[in-house]
Amino acid sequence: MATQQVEAGAAGHGAEPRGKRSDDGQATYLIAIAEALWEEMERDDRVYLLGEDIGAYGGAFKVTEGFIEHFGADRVMDTPIAEETIVGAAIGSAMEGLRPVAEFQYADFMTSGFDEITTTLARYHYRSGVPLPVVLRAPSGGGVRASNFHSTNPEPWFAHQPGLKVVCPAFPSDAKGLLKSAIRDDNPVVYLEHKWIYRRIKEKVPEDPDFLVPLGSAEVKRQGSDVTIVSYGAMVHRALEAAEDLAGRGVDVEVVDLRSIVPLDEETVLRSIEKTSRALVLHESYRFLGIGAEVAAVIAERAFEHLDAPVMRLAPPSVPVPFSPPLEDAFLPQVADIEAAVDRLSTW
Amino acid sequence: MPDDRLKEMLHTLKLCRYFDERMEALYRQGRLPGAIYSGRGQEGTHVGVASALRDDDSLFPTHRDLSAQFTKGLDLKRVMAQYWGRIDGYTRGRDGNSHIGDWAGNRTFTVISHLPIAYPVACGAALAYKRAGDRRVAMAICGDGSTSNGRWHEALNWSSIHQLPVVWVVNNNQYAYSTPNPLEFHVRTIAERAVAYGMPGVRVDGGDVLEVYGAALEAVERARNGGGPSLIESVSLRWRGHAGHDPAKYMPNGLLERYMAEKDPVKNFEEYLLAEGVVTKEDIGEVQERVEREFDEGYAFAQASPFPESGDVTKGLWVEDGYWTSDAGRGGGTGAD
Repeated sequence: MATQQVEAGAAGHGAEPRGKRSDDGQATYLIAIAEALWEEMERDDRVYLLGEDIGAYGGAFKVTEGFIEHFGADRVMDTPIAEETIVGAAIGSAMEGLRPVAEFQYADFMTSGFDEITTTLARYHYRSGVPLPVVLRAPSGGGVRASNFHSTNPEPWFAHQPGLKVVCPAFPSDAKGLLKSAIRDDNPVVYLEHKWIYRRIKEKVPEDPDFLVPLGSAEVKRQGSDVTIVSYGAMVHRALEAAEDLAGRGVDVEVVDLRSIVPLDEETVLRSIEKTSRALVLHESYRFLGIGAEVAAVIAERAFEHLDAPVMRLAPPSVPVPFSPPLEDAFLPQVADIEAAVDRLSTW
Repeated sequence: MPDDRLKEMLHTLKLCRYFDERMEALYRQGRLPGAIYSGRGQEGTHVGVASALRDDDSLFPTHRDLSAQFTKGLDLKRVMAQYWGRIDGYTRGRDGNSHIGDWAGNRTFTVISHLPIAYPVACGAALAYKRAGDRRVAMAICGDGSTSNGRWHEALNWSSIHQLPVVWVVNNNQYAYSTPNPLEFHVRTIAERAVAYGMPGVRVDGGDVLEVYGAALEAVERARNGGGPSLIESVSLRWRGHAGHDPAKYMPNGLLERYMAEKDPVKNFEEYLLAEGVVTKEDIGEVQERVEREFDEGYAFAQASPFPESGDVTKGLWVEDGYWTSDAGRGGGTGAD
């Protein structure tokens, strides 16, 4: 895997600069997202950004650092703290032909714009035939000691509202290619960028301005023959770490990264199950009525005859994301938890 | 205003009134599915404000503002097809009653129940007009109850910050479902709230369509000429309940009778046109005959229009499935066949 860990520590919000690609073309997830925005804004005048503190400050995580100087305040629009109107304004301008990319400072604050997202944005095309090419970007996820109002994984909420595509990239190249696809898509897309990944994961990222990753396509990130782990977002990296340990013990794990929650790429998941006959679904959003429940049901309905063991799920319990490190570590699936689950599956 | 426009305004007012009365009758007879939200008594507000817009200006109405939508150019036949859940309705049967709009046709937003959810959206349209510099204007309507909601304040604040070409209209019909003004806000008028957002605010008599029109035109032209947003509070009374099922027994005795006697926008406008010699009683009779004929034609059109095909239920969610850019299936039958 070309991926490697870079600096550890907090999420990186604050005054640290975004940084640049290394000389050999390696880029962090943060840089890859910024490149996607920059390239799409250069490509299409209709694309513009709006959100809180994205202009002179460059955004809470510095994704848009340097944008306002290049694109101007009309296309890098600082907004009041008014999430319903951030979404509403994005919708209205999309109705008039613009292609807005709205940034939520944290995915947690999407609840403050929830009505416009789920009631107006998601349902409008089905009712009217008017396309709404709106992208909502939001830093999601925990593991950075940010406590419950800055660690939410809201993808199940939005996946459950028909009319929104939902994307959760785990790698810099996917982050770039999926964001570019989202901006070019004529439907609303909720693009959840995991803040734990921002500065920790980097890899060689394509520089072709037309490099796209299609929405709704999963990818096998590690080939294996014994057990499949289906995951997305930051948990993909935990799954890969566990897979390396397990390989040392002779268990060959395949890791499927969903990349998109909506549309859900059932075929890539099913192909993997046909190969391994054992599945663990792993994610950071809640286990109860979660993404894993849907994936497990799809496997049960469509690949029952291939299964040698029950489909298992590993995901957080239904409590708010806690702050204190021992509590947050107990809340989030850890590498040891994943290995224990795979051991149960492989010896079933 | 030239006489032919005054006469057209009379036609619209009478059409809206007649439509409202007949649809309520059909609802009570059990011949109309779904719900109705009467705008009776408030036509002066709706026709007055929407008459100030150009064709390419946009309108963001509520479920009670069908009269404003008719003024903006909605087709009665397709409106009625919508009420009966038919394929020729503006939403192809995907939504019902006055949850309607025609963005491509006349720049009206397809109504959403959650109010004032269209207020922030109007900010976005106005943002696009300002950026394009094309001197277009967005107008949004809500009721008095909506002014209690956070979005109302967000949208006014935002529009003021960016001096957007938008006109905010509040149809103060004195009741939010059953809740009267004093339980919705403590200020004396809604119009005075404009001061807090640094924009002009004006309160007008919804019983006088020309007074409403005059205020709306001033606000629209101010927006068009770069003068930023305005707030208009137009006062009337909701003559009927919140929806067809609500007898509105919570209204104090005598209030409705007083408004019907003194503040009927249709009757007042007829009397004004007669006094000014713009129309004769015979002219008014002819307008009435015309609207009744139009209603009957609309009703017949709606009944003859097929239901959507049940096999299309999942289509139209995503742009790429092509449902909305191709002709809809017409094999759903009319229920009479």
